[in-house]
Amino acid sequence: MGAFDPEKDYYAALGVPVEASEEEIKVAYRDLARRYHPDSGGDAERFRQIQEAYEILRDPTLHRAYDRQRESRGLSQESPLVIGLTLNRTNMQPLEVPQMLYVLVDIRPRVDLPSQRLPLNLALVIDRSTSMQGVRMENVKLAALDLVESLLPGDRLSLVAFSDRAEVIASGLSVSDKRALRSAISALMPGGGTEICRGLTAGLDELRRYVSDQYLNHLILLTDGRTYGDEEQSLSEVRRAGAQKIGISALGIGEDWNDLFLDALARQGGGICQYIRSPSQVRQLLRDQIRGLSAVVARQVRLVINPAPNVKIQAAFRAAPYMEYLTLENGTTLKLGNMGVDEPIALILDLVVQQPEPGERRLARLELEAATANDTAVTLQLRRDLAMTFSYSAQDEPVPGRLLNMLSRLSIFRLQERAWELAESGDVQQATNMLQAAATRLFDLGYKELAQVALTEVGRLSAGGAPTSEGRKRVRYGTRSLTSPV
Amino acid sequence: MPDKSVKVICPSCGAENLTGTLFCVQCGIYLPFGGPLRTEPLPEQGQGQRPTATDRRTDTQEGKALSLEMEILDTGRKVWLSAEREILVGRLDAAHGIFPELDLGVDGGLEHGVSRRQARIYTKDGVCLLEDLDSTNGTFLNGERLTPYLPYTLHNEDVLTFGTMRLKIYIYTSK
Repeated sequence: MGAFDPEKDYYAALGVPVEASEEEIKVAYRDLARRYHPDSGGDAERFRQIQEAYEILRDPTLHRAYDRQRESRGLSQESPLVIGLTLNRTNMQPLEVPQMLYVLVDIRPRVDLPSQRLPLNLALVIDRSTSMQGVRMENVKLAALDLVESLLPGDRLSLVAFSDRAEVIASGLSVSDKRALRSAISALMPGGGTEICRGLTAGLDELRRYVSDQYLNHLILLTDGRTYGDEEQSLSEVRRAGAQKIGISALGIGEDWNDLFLDALARQGGGICQYIRSPSQVRQLLRDQIRGLSAVVARQVRLVINPAPNVKIQAAFRAAPYMEYLTLENGTTLKLGNMGVDEPIALILDLVVQQPEPGERRLARLELEAATANDTAVTLQLRRDLAMTFSYSAQDEPVPGRLLNMLSRLSIFRLQERAWELAESGDVQQATNMLQAAATRLFDLGYKELAQVALTEVGRLSAGGAPTSEGRKRVRYGTRSLTSPV
Repeated sequence: MPDKSVKVICPSCGAENLTGTLFCVQCGIYLPFGGPLRTEPLPEQGQGQRPTATDRRTDTQEGKALSLEMEILDTGRKVWLSAEREILVGRLDAAHGIFPELDLGVDGGLEHGVSRRQARIYTKDGVCLLEDLDSTNGTFLNGERLTPYLPYTLHNEDVLTFGTMRLKIYIYTSK
């Protein structure tokens, strides 16, 4: 058991592409085993080959080892990234009425790709408004000093501090200017209001001085407060920066910042927004963000989806490492940002299928594009077709466990996101119902503490009050990471 | 064949959902069951699923499984846990709010590839179950790798492997 022959093509034996997911391999094996079983008159030798292939491909450790051996013998295919597809069913009835279909798309490196620690062109934009006084600013300073220590030759760091205005306190400094960076950080003094757009623009301007494809160009915004009136402008600044391949992430400290706004900024900027409940977490979370930027396997990952005329993409979500709504650019493209080592991407697509013809049909063509980590001029491309068998005899099938569990958590995420939207727009009744539903589902799945927080907010809403900022943040950031593999 | 009408009416909240919807868009219940999805269903037999054991020592069937003793084989450390509550197995990370009941960080969990949220052990209808939480390096029961999020029955003296850390579980029922 466990001995494999890298000269044999196990993928061909099972009739699956190299990028097949666990589910696809399982399904292929089941069909073939049934067909070639000696007891039902099948060819014994063929059956044995099918068995051998399945034994290796179904075991992640053996599978990986097999792929590695094939690669070292020059037997493997080119693409370093693979797409795995898992659907909630393999057969559907060709009904007149529209039908939902769920697709889990896993995007990961095929074998252990070396991750690149690219030189960073980084801007840290720090809120120094009055509310940052005390523990918050102390921790931010420590976190920024940590960042300075972690710089490598070739990196550039710009520092912007903002309150009512923005000041550039360091511009594109490198490892050799550590002392200047440290004193700039130490000199930070809180005082004033919060004009995020000014800080953002100043930071982006600094980045643009040094922007180049050889760098990973990124801005991290650290704030504890609300900006007024310049949200739209901020978002369009981020959009503009995106066109120049500059990414944006955000860290929100405490309860007062606008989570819907910062989420939108980070989503637009292809980065992540994180909630810092207690100032003592700033150092770790900033370190995590830098680490995420420092071990990149592919950049500017995009998935282009071309559905068949009778198929509509109703919604698309990132499912792991955390959940978020994704928007389809031009109706076809999902922008997924960078792929970190140990951070494969998982997406869930909600498809609606209308009046299909019986038979095996292509639902959509998927094209994955990414730039390699070390040379953005090299584009990786990978194509996978999503297919379905439509037959009048199609039966209900058990949903693959991993997909089902992700959908279960995604459902909770969507319920509470919708609830907050409704609360913002004044529909208190509906908001309460949905948040209550989310809380119930959280209890069902055993997330008691999070459920309790949600219930407390339900109580406030139904008593005619407003939800608390803290409650909303805890629920929003708690639910989105229910799928974290961590 | 079930009647596939235009929309599926949720039995809990009455909302309309498209045919084939799994979780009601209004209240989140699992529509195929018409009720809460607490433990995800086991796949049908013959899908390569680990056989539910009839060839194993059955020690836990009648009484409720109440306490567990986990022996970490590499260090010899033994931990007693009550199976009345769900047991999260993993590594402590206060910054992210992860407080596993069985914290393997102290035993070198990081080096052994144990995820912060690695797996969970819980009791249902008197049976002790193990579920991998889509951990990075996998959870194994007597050498066989678990499919994430599916429950597997635990028996006395089973060997559980989290990443590369091996533990033996002793299940004690009330007398």
